[in-house]
Order: sequence, then C-alpha cells, then structure tokens
Amino acid sequence: MFRARLDLPLDRDGSVRFLPWIVALMVYLASLALASTLVLRDTVARWDRGLTGTLTVELPAASVGGRDDGAIELALKVLRTTPGVVRADPLDARRTAALLEPWLGTDIDAEDLPLPRLIDVETEPRVGVDQAALGQRLAAAVPGAQVDDHRRWLDRVLRAALAIEIVAGMVVGLVGLAAVLAVIFATRTGLAVHHGIVEVLHLIGARDGYIARQFEWHALRLGIKGGIAGLVLAIATLVGVAAAAAQVGAIGDAVRVLPALSAPAIEWALLLLLPVAAGLVAMLTARITVLRALKRLP
Amino acid sequence: MRYGAGPEILRDITLRLEPGSFHFLTGSSGAGKSSLLKLMYLAERPSRGLISLFDRDIATTPRREMPALRRRIGVVFQDFRLIDHLSAFDNAALPLRVAGLDENQIKEHVTELLSWVGLGDLLAAKPPTLSGGQQQRVAIARAVIRRPNLLLADEPTGNVDEELALRLMRLFEELNKLGTTLLIATHNRSLVDSFDHPHLHLENGELHTERARKRSVL
Repeated sequence: MFRARLDLPLDRDGSVRFLPWIVALMVYLASLALASTLVLRDTVARWDRGLTGTLTVELPAASVGGRDDGAIELALKVLRTTPGVVRADPLDARRTAALLEPWLGTDIDAEDLPLPRLIDVETEPRVGVDQAALGQRLAAAVPGAQVDDHRRWLDRVLRAALAIEIVAGMVVGLVGLAAVLAVIFATRTGLAVHHGIVEVLHLIGARDGYIARQFEWHALRLGIKGGIAGLVLAIATLVGVAAAAAQVGAIGDAVRVLPALSAPAIEWALLLLLPVAAGLVAMLTARITVLRALKRLP
Repeated sequence: MRYGAGPEILRDITLRLEPGSFHFLTGSSGAGKSSLLKLMYLAERPSRGLISLFDRDIATTPRREMPALRRRIGVVFQDFRLIDHLSAFDNAALPLRVAGLDENQIKEHVTELLSWVGLGDLLAAKPPTLSGGQQQRVAIARAVIRRPNLLLADEPTGNVDEELALRLMRLFEELNKLGTTLLIATHNRSLVDSFDHPHLHLENGELHTERARKRSVL
C-alpha cells in the first residue's frame, strides 16, 4: 500500500491501532445498509415495471357452484371496446384458486367458495386508460364491478420502501458520524502523544498543511485498510444471504422470504467505493482536526 | 513575560540585535535565558511588550506568514529536541524538507554538513544510539543547515569537549561572517571569554550589558 514519508512516528502509535477495526465495522454496517437499499429499490422497480400497463377487473362472486351469470362476457365486451385496452383475459377458477393456495392450501375446492371473478387486463402503457370512466361503464354493465390498477398497493409498498431507505440512509449517516468521531479521537491522541515533534516541526517553519498532511496520509491509509476489511466481511455476508435466498427460492417461490441480490452490477460497484469513501472521510477529518489544533500554537 | 498566571520571568527588557551581530547571553540557571530565546524563536508570545523580527512586528504579522519568518531562524534547543525515529541525516534535513527543497540538494547539503561536524559515519544512526555530544552536533546541523538569518542557540556546547566546543564556535563564527546574526546562551564563562563578542547578562529577569563591542544592548 502507498506510504508517504512521515516525520511523525504515527505507524507506531498504539492509540490508533483500533482505528482500522472501527472503520471495518463501520464499512461493514454501511455496506449492509447500502446493499439492502439497492436490493429493495431494484425489487420495487421490478414490481412497478411489472404492474405498469396492467389492470385487474374484479366482478362480484357468482353463486356458489360457479354458475355463469354472463357477467364476465358483459365485462369483456366493455373492456374490448375501451380504447387503450390491448388484452383482457378472465382468470378461470383454477388460476383464481391457485392465487389463494398459499393461504388456504390445496385441500379446499375453490368451486365451493364464493370467490370474485377476475379479469386480467393489459393496457397500452403509453396511451393508458381512463380508469374512472372504465369503472363507471363496467359498474353499469355489471353492478359491483371494480377496477384495480394496483396503484394503491404499490404506493403503500413504495412508501414502505422509502421509509426503509431513509432508515438505511440514517444508519449510513450515523455510521459515518461514528467513524468521524473515532478519527477525531485518534488524531487528537496522536497530536497529544507527538506534541514535542509537532512543536519542533512548527518551530522550524513547517506550515500547518505540512504537519496536517502527515496525519491525513496516515488516516487515509488506516481508513482504506479498515474499509477493505469491512467490505470483504460484508461481501461474505451478502454472499451468504444470496445463497440462503436461492435455497429458500428453490423450496418454492410462493414462500420466498429473502429477496435475490438482483440489483444491477453498476449499483453493486457502489459498495466498492465505500473503503475509498471511508479513507477520504478519515483523511479529511484528520486534516481538519490537526489544522484546528495547530491554530492554537503561536 | 510570564507563563500562565505564574510570576513574571522577564521584565522591562529592551534588546536590539543588529543584523550580522554576534552576542553571548549568560545568566544563572532560571534567570530567563531560555524564555528570552523562546520569545525570539516565536515559541512563546510576550504577555506585554513588542517583538520585532526582520523588521516585522510579530503581533501584527498574519499567522500564515509566520512559517516564512521561522525558516529564517535557526534554533539549537537546550534539550536538542531531535526526532528519535528519524536518522541523524533526516533530522538535519528537516528544515530543508519542510521548505520543500529537492531531495538531491538535501542529500548533498546534509551529508556535507554532518561530515563537517564529524558525523559523516553516522548519517543513518538514530538519536537514541548517539552520545549527548553527537546529538548536540546533529541539533546544531539542523539549526544551521538553511544558513539562517538569525541563529539562537541554547547551551550549544554544553555536552561536547572543549576542542569540539571551539570547533562548533568556529562554525558559528563562519556563519556570522556570512551574515547570520547569532545569540548564544551559555553557562560556559571560559567560552565567552575566549571570543571577543558582546555579552548580555540576564539576572532576576532583567538584562544587563557586561561588555559590548557593538552597540546592541540597552
């Protein structure tokens, strides 16, 4: 690793040996928070893309036994004459029952339940459909018919995702703040331990920047060193989570509890910047701390 | 001048060192010699009074311009203040590195000077492995390496034998001939008597002139 010539024996300081470990822990936590945000954002974006241009029309349940009362045909007639509708396919009883299977199991015959009838509608994404007008026309044709563009559900998911992102951002912020405080403490300790040398450098005409550079290079090196260790640990954890997600996914998509680590590679590259960011934060913090302390010298 | 709320160490001192002059500063232990030097090499501020260096009033000189003033001053500290983890070479080279000189120039100047003070074979030695006298010579080399306009030395010959003391004094005289103003604080009365230079004496925090060849003390 790069090494600047140091007039101060900062490498031998026992007081700063803990710093890479602290930075490693910080980068580890920040990496997990950032990874969670990336996964969440990607998952929500996929849901959003998947639901854009689709509608679900819900017709009141027919009488038990599934006797057709012609409601589906009426609704389809309305839908197929609506501008912007590309496709409208009613879900048969088997597919409707399959939607309920995770909750009701396979032992119950859906034919015995008063289930609403569903029509899967695909719309032209660019043109769109006047949902209010469509709802009115459908309700006129089939009393009780409802149009759902999934927006209400998706909005709730987006709000929840945003809340999680904010929490993750706060975690990264707090972690950064803790790292800054650790660097300030370590730098002040270094200044106190090497006060004599700092004073000699000052008295022979060293500018504050020259002395600060000694501390900032050292902090940069320790920050990057700790950051890389933290990132390696975080990557190991994420690989473990991905393996667990794949295993749960293999058991059955319906009971998938862990999202796949599916964000684009370029976003994952952001994680690689964390050690550099940790090093730069440490460097800047050390510089500011030293410059402020040196201002007290005559 | 006083340290914190302590007693006044120096008082009513008016001193002017003419450019190119050479003075000794004597006084018993605790008389305030080191404190006076500290004021002059800008390690302390006076609690009252005025210090003017190289025609600049220190009180009104912006902080960013102080390093440039300090680089014109060479200091031999009483306790040497060498940096233990740096070699004799690197210690002596510090003022040049701080000033941003080229490494080739640094190597040439420092090697030559350390050889002159008899440490040519100890360039790589760390201060803890050097004797008191050797450390003192490294400290002197560091102070004079930039050929300062003003050299302030606090007991610069305190740890060396008489022969080397005279050799170091000749180095100071050579520097003086080249235009460096010198003020050497010492206990060594015989050393003071060996040279025909004005002599300032500090007693009870006050400055007296014992013998002045040049008009320099009030």
